[in-house]
Amino acid sequence: MSDVLTLQALSAIRALSPLLFALLSLLVIPLVKSDLFGKKSDAHVRGGSAAVLLLLASSVAALLAGSGYASTLNVGLITVDPSEPGRLLVTLGGAVFALIVAVGQGRRAGAMGQVALFGLALIDLALAIPIGLAPIVILLVGSASLSALAAGNREDAQRARAVFRDLRTVGVLLTVIVVAELLRSAIPLSATDPAYATTSSLTAGVALTLSLVLLGMIGAFPFHHRLVRIFESLPIVGSLMVGVWIPAALSLIIFNELSLLSSSVSEPIGGAVVAALFITGTVTLLFGGVSALLHDDVGEVLGFLAVGNAGWLALGAAAIILHPSAVGPLLVALPGALVISLFGLWRISIRRHYELTSLQELSGWARRTRALGVVLICAAVSQTAVPVREFFSGGFDIAGQSGSLLITVGALLGAGTLAAAAIRLLLVGLAQESQDVHRTRKGKVLSPAAIWLVAGTILISGVAAGFINIEAAASGLLRPDPVESVPQNSTP
Amino acid sequence: MSPLSLELPLALVAALSGALAVTSARRAAWIALALMATAAALLEFRPSDSLSPALLLRLTAIFGATLYALPPGLLAWRALAHDLQPRRLLATLTEHPVVAVSAAAGLVLGAIPLALPIEGSSVLLRGAGVALLLIGLPPLLTSRYVEATARAAVVTLSGALLLRASILGALDLFSSIAIAAGFVALLLIGATVAGQLTKAEEQ
Repeated sequence: MSDVLTLQALSAIRALSPLLFALLSLLVIPLVKSDLFGKKSDAHVRGGSAAVLLLLASSVAALLAGSGYASTLNVGLITVDPSEPGRLLVTLGGAVFALIVAVGQGRRAGAMGQVALFGLALIDLALAIPIGLAPIVILLVGSASLSALAAGNREDAQRARAVFRDLRTVGVLLTVIVVAELLRSAIPLSATDPAYATTSSLTAGVALTLSLVLLGMIGAFPFHHRLVRIFESLPIVGSLMVGVWIPAALSLIIFNELSLLSSSVSEPIGGAVVAALFITGTVTLLFGGVSALLHDDVGEVLGFLAVGNAGWLALGAAAIILHPSAVGPLLVALPGALVISLFGLWRISIRRHYELTSLQELSGWARRTRALGVVLICAAVSQTAVPVREFFSGGFDIAGQSGSLLITVGALLGAGTLAAAAIRLLLVGLAQESQDVHRTRKGKVLSPAAIWLVAGTILISGVAAGFINIEAAASGLLRPDPVESVPQNSTP
Repeated sequence: MSPLSLELPLALVAALSGALAVTSARRAAWIALALMATAAALLEFRPSDSLSPALLLRLTAIFGATLYALPPGLLAWRALAHDLQPRRLLATLTEHPVVAVSAAAGLVLGAIPLALPIEGSSVLLRGAGVALLLIGLPPLLTSRYVEATARAAVVTLSGALLLRASILGALDLFSSIAIAAGFVALLLIGATVAGQLTKAEEQ
């Protein structure tokens, strides 16, 4: 009996390790910030350090626990079965956010570490549950909650409005996802009576509602305002978690649902769903790239780069409906999150160093802080190379699939403008120094912090670009729900 | 459970209190929201012999979050009795005829089959679901007030869940936990953000 309990406890620890580390942070971070461990004035440094260590520990634990059978937890009717994509996101996300929290420091470093820990735990949990209503609801609710946590108690109207916008979006999307699940559950019953909606129409309805949830959450055009405001107003850890990492996990779940949906029907999914996704993806890419080129505030520029990344995800959704077995779209989500995180790392480093957010005022920064130049070069190279490479290596050809030259040209132009926006950031750094930059103390090139920053950046961009090939774990589809929802009172 | 003995009054209470939750201000709105959530949860989970854990969880989540979200001093007895006078409630509904008509229209529209597998579905549940969707969705999309938006989100989500329950029955336990967390998050975030905005605007 005790052996069974021990095994159950071990599998619980393996299955829920990211969540356990997140919960542990609720105890550890306030404890190390207390007077018992040092001066009150250093409390935020200790809190930040504890958060960094917990993030690294969570990352290593997720890697060690993996997604094998020993990590599956059964509690009554609930099964938590960690997936490879979930574990991969936690392993990489833990390391990335540890670096960002360590570089950013600041008064709320401990709280930001907790935002990252809980965000990664929610991602892992959502990807560990068989598809259905629960995982998407967990991510939607988690996104709104983390956005509020990241905003903190500051009486900042701009931040509060960004959270309000997020709340409204999540409120609408929760309703849409319930409707999507209702339609999806009705598909198996549609053939039993000619009076019902047809299988084709229900399938198209599910594809449409799921796509709406995806477009709303990833911040594709015309839902981009949410993403831009998040990047403009929330701290970078919260922005990246809510604006990039949770949407990446959500897109993996929805791609999986769309793939299963598309492969379960013999006819192609009807309506204008695929065309709308192709057009939305292309417009989002173009809009994100052009807007990033035209804006001056670093936060807004980053927000628009994230919008551009959402364009690739929208194209991925269209691709997976057309070709349910294509792996290209599944490969875009993780590198995309890593690339935007690199930009986030650059932003937090540069803001900490210069305390400026305007590109005009920041001109010449790379001449004084070369480590930041390396970060941005890595980000720009990844931004230019990664999405297109992933699409082509995954066997997806936009020109061939969309069937429209306009879509192909638009998507390539969009990718070009995104690359140009990234290169512009670098050129600003190499331009004539502004007075603000000139007055700032010059950083040491060989300081431990700079070495760590550069080493971490090269590692992240290596993973994003596929030189370190662990992304394959994200290419598999998630497990389907073993128990199909059956209507309570339906007549067979 | 005889449909007309319990489902009809519950459906009416859900639609009426849902309409009041998005049209009233302060006390009446919060009390109406709690009433709507209770009626909708009872319709959704249909307790017969024993209370299901999912129902208890839903009610605990809604009541707990509502108590947290209530502005201080809102439960003062005299003020509560004043704000909840039937005359005042009726006046509120007549001031918002579109919402009142949406509630009535939703209940009627629920009687029309949705072309989904509906043999086992309940007309009254579907009616209440459609009514709550029609009541909640417009303010959820357009309201400029944070707390009103959060309440509208709860009304709309309850409507969608009722519509789902009318065809597929109640949610499984895991989804119930996730949805209960969703209700709590909507109300708590709404209250927190409203407080922050008020303080920021006062400064």
